[in-house]
Amino acid sequence: MRFSQLYNYEIAIFLSMIGFYVLVSRGNLVKKVAGLSMFQTSVFILYISMGVVQDGTVPILVDGVRVYSNPLPHVLILTAIVVGVATTAVALALIIRIKEAYDTVEEDEIHEQDRSF
Amino acid sequence: MKKPLVAVTLAAAAVPMLIGVAALPRPGDPTAPAHTHVAAHYIEAGARETGADNRVTAVLLNYRAFDTFGEVLVIFAALAAVIAVRSPATPGGRADDMPGPGPGLPISPVVAFIIRLTAPFIALFGAFVIFRGHVSPGGGFQGGVILGALLVLLSLVLGRGAERPLLAVPLARWLQAAAPLAFTGVGLLGLALTGALLGYPAEPERHALRELMMITLDVGIGIGGAMIILGLFLEMRGD
Repeated sequence: MRFSQLYNYEIAIFLSMIGFYVLVSRGNLVKKVAGLSMFQTSVFILYISMGVVQDGTVPILVDGVRVYSNPLPHVLILTAIVVGVATTAVALALIIRIKEAYDTVEEDEIHEQDRSF
Repeated sequence: MKKPLVAVTLAAAAVPMLIGVAALPRPGDPTAPAHTHVAAHYIEAGARETGADNRVTAVLLNYRAFDTFGEVLVIFAALAAVIAVRSPATPGGRADDMPGPGPGLPISPVVAFIIRLTAPFIALFGAFVIFRGHVSPGGGFQGGVILGALLVLLSLVLGRGAERPLLAVPLARWLQAAAPLAFTGVGLLGLALTGALLGYPAEPERHALRELMMITLDVGIGIGGAMIILGLFLEMRGD
C-alpha cells in the first residue's frame, strides 16, 4: 500500500501542522517561537527521509561498502539546523526586548497597549 | 482565535502537502531523482576529488563551500543582532534595574564538581570531533556545539557576571568571528593557489595542504560556533 510506504513524509506533515497550530492559535510569543521551531524540525525530517537509500550506510567511505545514503540532504539540513539556531536566538532576544518594553509577551495585550486593533 | 477558523487553516495547509508528498518516490528508493544526479557524483568521486572520506564534509567544505561561508556569516550576524538588541547602548535597551533573576542561587557543589571533573573529557571529545571531521562522523559545527555546551557549563560554574567575563571581551569578539575569518583566509589562499575563491589544490603532492585547509576551516567553524553559543547564552541570561 502506497500510504504506508510514505509514512515518513506524512509524519513530517503532521508534525508541521502541530507546529503551525501552535503558531496560529497561541498569543504567547515564546510559544509561537516554539511552534515555529517544530515546523522547522518537520522540514528537517522530510529532507532527511528523502536522503535515505535502501540498505545504504552513512555517506562515509568504508572499505567493502557499496551503497551509501545521499549526503546532500545531510549537508542542507546541517546548514538549516545551524541557521535555525541563529534565527531562534534572534527571535528570543527580540521577545526579551518586547518584554522589557511592554512588560508582557502576550500578543493581544501588546496590541491593546498599542491600540493597534 | 476561533477554533473552526484554525481547523480550516490547518486543513487548507495540510491537504495540498499530503497530495504533494503522495507523488514523491518512496523513501529509500535508489532510483529516486534525488539520488541519481549530483548526489551520485558526490558518492562516486567525493572522497577522491576532495580528500575527505566523510562525503558530508566533502560537500560542506568543498562542493558547497560558498553555502557554508554564507551560513557562518549568518550565525555571526545573528550573534551581532542579539548583542545589538540586548545592548544597554541601544536606545531604550536593556534597563539596568530590570527585574531579572539576579545572581540566583549558588550552584550546588556536586554539580560544580562533576562539571569540573568531566570538562577535560568533553573538551577532548569536542576537539576529536572537529579534527577528525573530514574522515569520520563529525565536523566543525558538531564539535563546535559540544565545545559551546562545555563553555556554557563552565560559565555556570566559573561565571563571574558581566563585570568579569570568562574571556577578555576583545579576545572573545575575535574568537566569535573565527569561522568567517577562517573562511576568508582559506578562501584567499585558494584564490592565490588555484585562481578560484575557496579553491583547493588538486595536485597529489599538495594533498597535505588540502587537508590542512579543510582542518583549518573545521577548527575555525568549531571555535567560532562554540564562542557564538556561549555569547548567545551570556547575552540572554539576563544578569
